[in-house]
Amino acid sequence: MPSPVSPGPQAATTTAPTPEPTPQGRATLPGAEPAALAAGRVTDTRVRTAPTVPSWVLKLVMAVTGTIFALFLLVHMFGNLKVFTGAEHFNEYAHWLHTILEPFLPWNGVLWILRVVLSISLVAHVVAAVLLKQRARRSRGRVPRKRLPLKTFAGRNMLVTGIVLFAFIVFHLLDLTVGTPGVAPASYTAGTTEASFAYQNLVASFQRPAAAAFYIVALLTLFLHLAHGLVTVVHDLGMTGRRTRAVAFAAGGALALAILLGNILIPVAVLTGVVK
Amino acid sequence: MKLTLDVWRQDNPAGPGRFETYEVLDATPEMSVVELLDRLNEQLVETGAEPVAFESDCREGICGACGVTVDDRPHGAQPNTPSCHQRLARYTEGQRIRIEPLRSGAYPVIRDLVVDRSALDRVITAGGHVAINAGTAPDADAAALDFAAAEMALDFAACIGCGACVAACPNGAAHLFVGSKLAHLAALPTTKAERGKRARAMISEMELDFGPCSSYGECADVCPAGIPLSAIAVVNKERLRAVLRGRNT
Repeated sequence: MPSPVSPGPQAATTTAPTPEPTPQGRATLPGAEPAALAAGRVTDTRVRTAPTVPSWVLKLVMAVTGTIFALFLLVHMFGNLKVFTGAEHFNEYAHWLHTILEPFLPWNGVLWILRVVLSISLVAHVVAAVLLKQRARRSRGRVPRKRLPLKTFAGRNMLVTGIVLFAFIVFHLLDLTVGTPGVAPASYTAGTTEASFAYQNLVASFQRPAAAAFYIVALLTLFLHLAHGLVTVVHDLGMTGRRTRAVAFAAGGALALAILLGNILIPVAVLTGVVK
Repeated sequence: MKLTLDVWRQDNPAGPGRFETYEVLDATPEMSVVELLDRLNEQLVETGAEPVAFESDCREGICGACGVTVDDRPHGAQPNTPSCHQRLARYTEGQRIRIEPLRSGAYPVIRDLVVDRSALDRVITAGGHVAINAGTAPDADAAALDFAAAEMALDFAACIGCGACVAACPNGAAHLFVGSKLAHLAALPTTKAERGKRARAMISEMELDFGPCSSYGECADVCPAGIPLSAIAVVNKERLRAVLRGRNT
């Protein structure tokens, strides 16, 4: 352990060498708290007072909600890949999503459950991220490390990739779920209780090069976010065993890569005219 | 070999500090970073200047007293090596080296390169110890401890408490330090009894000074004791276990 430090040669020459310092004879040091200095420390002021929600709870919230997102994205990707089975099959699948578990659940029942769960997860994930970032900045102090190795790139930019992904989610919902004019393609056709036009909407959207480029950029960003996020999940959920960690890291990497490759095929296929 | 050093000088905790540039003309490849500072201080004393304050003790990598930031990396460029073992062989004639204290919001600078690492002590005081009356030494093999668990405990007990992990972390987190202590004490038969209590106490204390862990992995790269990165997962593991197992065990 680091040993307690004497106040330094200057202080030693200016103060009496009494073993028990009195309030008058106590060594002083600019910037140090006198009470702490008497005990061989500079300060007893902590970086923060005990937070209402501890950081480990916030990290747990981020890990669980992040995993929910990752698993949702995997299922979403499997659905998306049906675009390669043709317009009819894809539209049937899109229509089926609205009718899952009918009549036990109403029209759109499962979709609304997913929307509520994902929205709550998103809010929790973002709030926890902001709180943790603030705490990290306070703890690292005024002189953060510079010139960090490239392998920390994804980790350092989680906030940036997160903001890009949030912007993408908003765009994606306006484009293919809501069909907002100006964001969605001009030929956007809303689905009815009888049929869906998801295939036509998707192809029309991706035939706009700017929109397709944004999807591709968002997917690459998502890969960076997931690649680091899923490693962090392993730590936040407390996986310490050698084999457990190896399996979890491999699964996380495979998941991130599958979501990237599976989804990126679609805008590329539309742009190259394979899907039309 | 001639080396140019930009060394952080700060008179007292109030600061402000500044970099001052010095030249050491007779550095040799087998010198350590700490010996380079010794040589610099000899020069400074000869000219009547105030020597650079820095900490070092055993100079064999087991005490944890030394530790300076060399070119933005705690301890120095060589991975898993304390400042007292970072040799100058990697530097060439005329090279510029920047030497700063270990940087963290939890480590106020006392003077020059010396920082106050009491925040680490506070975490140990909170729970990194044994508060059990273990009685007399038990008979051999009375307490079951297999070889693998003993080796694992020893690996994590290797932490020398230098605090470089915190300075390496872009979040100022102390998970490698705290995790190594928790893992070490959770593995052994007597100290196991306080596992939950210890995790709650040490982690609550840790969060007052140190940041959250974001899995950068920088800590394990600089750790002179070679504590594996899995130590950072031990923190949340022990904390979650304390929740699931109830108050104190």
